[in-house]
Amino acid sequence: MPDAPTAEIIQQQLCTEIQTLLSLKSGSVKSDTHLPSLGIDSLRFVSLLLVIEQKFGVNLMKAGLKPDDTKSVRNLASAIVARRSA
Amino acid sequence: MSFSLPYSAHRRYLTGIDWIVGALDRSARKAIGLGGFSQAIIELDGVVDEKTLRAALDQISRRIPLIHGRVARDWLNLAPYWKAPPNADVPQVPLRVVDLPEERAGDAERLFDEHVNVPFESRWQHLRCLLVHIGGRRSRLGMLFDHRLLDAFGAEAIFRLIDLAWRGQLDEIVPLIRQTEPAHLDHWRRRLASGKTLNRYLHRLNERSVCGLKMPVPGLKRRIRFQHDSMTPEQSAEFASKAADEIGVPIILPSAAARAIAAMRQVVPAPPLPGDQCLVFTSATNRLPGQEWEKLLFNHFALMGLSARQDVTQSTAEIAADLRDQFFEHMRLQIPFVMQDAGALGRICPVWLASRMMNALFGGRFCSFYFACLRETGFPGDSFLGLPAIGLIHKPLAFAPPGMNICMTWFANHFNLVISYVEGVISDVSAAKLLHIFKTSLLR
Repeated sequence: MPDAPTAEIIQQQLCTEIQTLLSLKSGSVKSDTHLPSLGIDSLRFVSLLLVIEQKFGVNLMKAGLKPDDTKSVRNLASAIVARRSA
Repeated sequence: MSFSLPYSAHRRYLTGIDWIVGALDRSARKAIGLGGFSQAIIELDGVVDEKTLRAALDQISRRIPLIHGRVARDWLNLAPYWKAPPNADVPQVPLRVVDLPEERAGDAERLFDEHVNVPFESRWQHLRCLLVHIGGRRSRLGMLFDHRLLDAFGAEAIFRLIDLAWRGQLDEIVPLIRQTEPAHLDHWRRRLASGKTLNRYLHRLNERSVCGLKMPVPGLKRRIRFQHDSMTPEQSAEFASKAADEIGVPIILPSAAARAIAAMRQVVPAPPLPGDQCLVFTSATNRLPGQEWEKLLFNHFALMGLSARQDVTQSTAEIAADLRDQFFEHMRLQIPFVMQDAGALGRICPVWLASRMMNALFGGRFCSFYFACLRETGFPGDSFLGLPAIGLIHKPLAFAPPGMNICMTWFANHFNLVISYVEGVISDVSAAKLLHIFKTSLLR
């Protein structure tokens, strides 16, 4: 069984997914990017949660998110790691 | 691989969602004699100069002739498109100006209510403005718009466009506005599959009967009435935070819709049209950040049906959690995109026929009411024609049936709440009570 991806790898993959969802240029989303400032709407946010569920096997909707979890990609990646190990 | 005939490359074909809005507009015209008209009203601290405003509107009329278009059909590919008027014949956007003394400030509301209830003069007309000066100190500019041409975000962006025209910056913006749209005649197999998925989805939504308000006798001209109120920025932020805590994700739509359903149940405990579920049709914007000019015209939102059972006494938090799960399930099934895709397929059907088919499918009861929660504004600025912008509200359409719409719009860090309803569907007293309960529950 392959090792679970590290927080860093998750961060990189999240950056790529968010760029795709928002049609942003490659490299425009970084781990410390303030997510609310990207103007991500509810449709895209739900799409992102579905991608997370598919890629990392974590249902963040059921597991719940704290307000800080969605502040940056880094925080979101940490939430995924924490829920995976829970 | 796709190709387009040279003539069609310059046309603005209707998308799937434009066509669905067209079918709803047709149903409303038949039921109450009014189409999908909404009004956005901007409130200013100062007196707007009529000539300045007229000049800005004229510039926009000339540069964006599509605002005076009409629906036509391309008989070669059967797709409907929005036909622009001949270049030499671009009409003006009608503008009426009323001066009210301070002691008659209350009349402004009545004037705007009347404005939204008068149909456009011709099928080429889709925008009309009413400017009210109050006491020589304040102004309110109402813009009535046809929902087939603009959605709420687009209408607010037109205010921004008027301001940019006044600043002489229209040349920079107009090239960004997409005024053509291909016919999207490709991917037929995928569209057919989407049609099947949508059909199954609509049948599933209608497995249980839908409760609702009773529409007045069809064919009679009915007015649309409004009740509105505002939340403060502090109240709005508090609600957003509570909503996120309540459902565990930072999305406010499920919590807001749950409160609208609960308020409705309180005010109309025994709906005149009984049913097993309260079905709410809601919309979510489909514009990416930075697409506000590209997607200025026509409709760019996704429609979804959210349902709450009538036979269970659920708490608001439970309804919100249930609606959240449905929202996720819709996205899992890609319903917003399926609807767009299937709509593109359905366009070959004339709207009058589509409207009849929708009525036959749902027995005239599409949903219990419409609900919209817009947290993006197309007018993010704080000044208009050099005057401070102190408010921006909507008097939105109440598509009929069901003839009831509850709407939350966003301006200057706060929510405005509006209930629009077809005269006779609910009394003014009940509507005012509904708004009060809804607002109170958002703050609890």
